[in-house]
Amino acid sequence: MTEEPLHEQRAHVEREIRAMLAEATRADLSRIGELPAETKLFGSEISLSSLAGVTLLAAITERYGVDVAAQDLSLDCLESIATLVDFVVWHLAISPESSV
Amino acid sequence: MLDTDGVKCVVWDLDGTLWDGVAVERADSGLPEVRPEMLAAVDALAGRGVLSSIASRSAPEVLERLTRDTGLAARFLAPQVSWQDKSTALRRIAAELGVAVESLLLVDDSPYERAEVEALLPGVRTADPRDVPALLASFDGRPVTAEARARVDRYRTEEVRRRAGERFEGSREEFLRWCEMRIEIGAAGREEIPRALELAERTHRLNSSGLDREQVRLMNEQGGHRLFTARMTDRFGDYGIIGMALVRPGPTAWSVPLLALSCRIAGRGASVAFLRWLMEEARTAGADEFTTDLRPTGANTELRLLFRQAGLRIAGEGGDPAQSTVTLTRTLHGDLPSWPGWLQVCPLPIGPTP
Repeated sequence: MTEEPLHEQRAHVEREIRAMLAEATRADLSRIGELPAETKLFGSEISLSSLAGVTLLAAITERYGVDVAAQDLSLDCLESIATLVDFVVWHLAISPESSV
Repeated sequence: MLDTDGVKCVVWDLDGTLWDGVAVERADSGLPEVRPEMLAAVDALAGRGVLSSIASRSAPEVLERLTRDTGLAARFLAPQVSWQDKSTALRRIAAELGVAVESLLLVDDSPYERAEVEALLPGVRTADPRDVPALLASFDGRPVTAEARARVDRYRTEEVRRRAGERFEGSREEFLRWCEMRIEIGAAGREEIPRALELAERTHRLNSSGLDREQVRLMNEQGGHRLFTARMTDRFGDYGIIGMALVRPGPTAWSVPLLALSCRIAGRGASVAFLRWLMEEARTAGADEFTTDLRPTGANTELRLLFRQAGLRIAGEGGDPAQSTVTLTRTLHGDLPSWPGWLQVCPLPIGPTP
C-alpha cells in the first residue's frame, strides 16, 4: 500500500466499493455514487438482496483480500456504505497481505 | 464399493463410455448406438433421484444431433460438448444445475480425462465405465422419497425456466412476477416429514445451523417443537417442498434451531417469505422475540445475509468466534421483513401449539 494519507486512501476505497455495490445490485453507478455514505445497504434506496450481497462480498474479498463473511460474524458492518468502507479500510490497515 | 455419498449428478462422457466408437468420425450425421446397459444405468439413477449430464470433448454439432433425439435429450441435463477441458465443462454443469461441483461424479473411459478433472476439481469423484455396476450398487442404500424421484423432472422444468429467464426482456422482478410464483406454508403433516428431513440433510447454501437428520427427527418427536414446510409452484411447474423450519414456540420467544431451503429456489424470495411467515405466526401467538441458531460455514453466507436483512442480530455482546453456533435475535414489535411483491403467499392454518 503506497504511503498516501489515510483519508485519500479511504476515499479511493469508498469509490471502488460504491462501484462494486452498483454492479452487485445492477443499479446505476451515478445514482449509487451520489447517495450519502450513511445510506442503509438494506434500506429502500439500495435494498441489497442476499444474492447481491454474496456478489458484493466476493468482489471485496477478491479486490482487497478482506473476507467480511469470515471476519464479521453477524455482518454488522453491512449497516451502511460508510460502515462497510470503515470495516474494509480498518482491515486493510491491520493486515499487510491485503493490498490496495 | 464406490463412495457416492452426496453425489447428486453423474456426468457421462460420450465416446467410449456412453457408446462405442467416436461420434464425430462417423460419415453419416447420425450417432453411434448407446450401450443398452448405460441407458439402463441412467434410468436406474434417475429412479433414485440422481441426475445425469454429459461432458464430452468433441465437436459441438454432436450436441445438436444429440438434442434432436428427444428420448436421449430428455435424460441428460445441461449437456456440455465442446473442445474445452472437462473440468471447465463440469464447472458449467454444476453452475447451471445449481449444485456444488463436488456433488458431480464423472464416468469416463479416458484415464487422462479422469485425472484432469481430479486434479483441477479436487473433491470431484470419477469412475471408469467398467465401474458402472458398482456405481449403481452404491446407490442401493439411498432412501428413495417421492421427492427424490421427482427431482429429475423438476430439474428438467428448471432448465426450461432458466432458458425462459434468458429470453425475458423486462426487469428481474417483472420476470419473477410473470412466473406467477406461489408459496404455500403450513405445519408439516406426517407425509411431509421425510422431505423435511431430506432438506435438512442435503442443503448447505440455505441451511442455518447444520443440524443433522437424526437430531431434527428426535427434536420434532420429543415435543416442544413444531415442523413447518413450504411448497412452491409457478407457471413452469411444481417445485415440491422447498423449505423446512424446526421451531420451538415459547410463550415469549419463538426460536428456530434449523431453517433449511433448497438452493434451487435461491434468490426468488421464498426464504424471506418463509421467515416473514414464521415471524407473523410467532407474533400472533403472543411472542415478543424471534431467535434463530446460526452456524456460519463457507456455504451459507447468503442465508446469513438474509437473516441480517430480516433484522436478526447476534444476541448479547459480539458472538465469540470460537463458538460454532451463535444465536441471532430480533423483536417482533415494529415492522417485519416485507413480503416479496412478486410472490403469492398462501398460508395454511397451523392449528394450536401442542
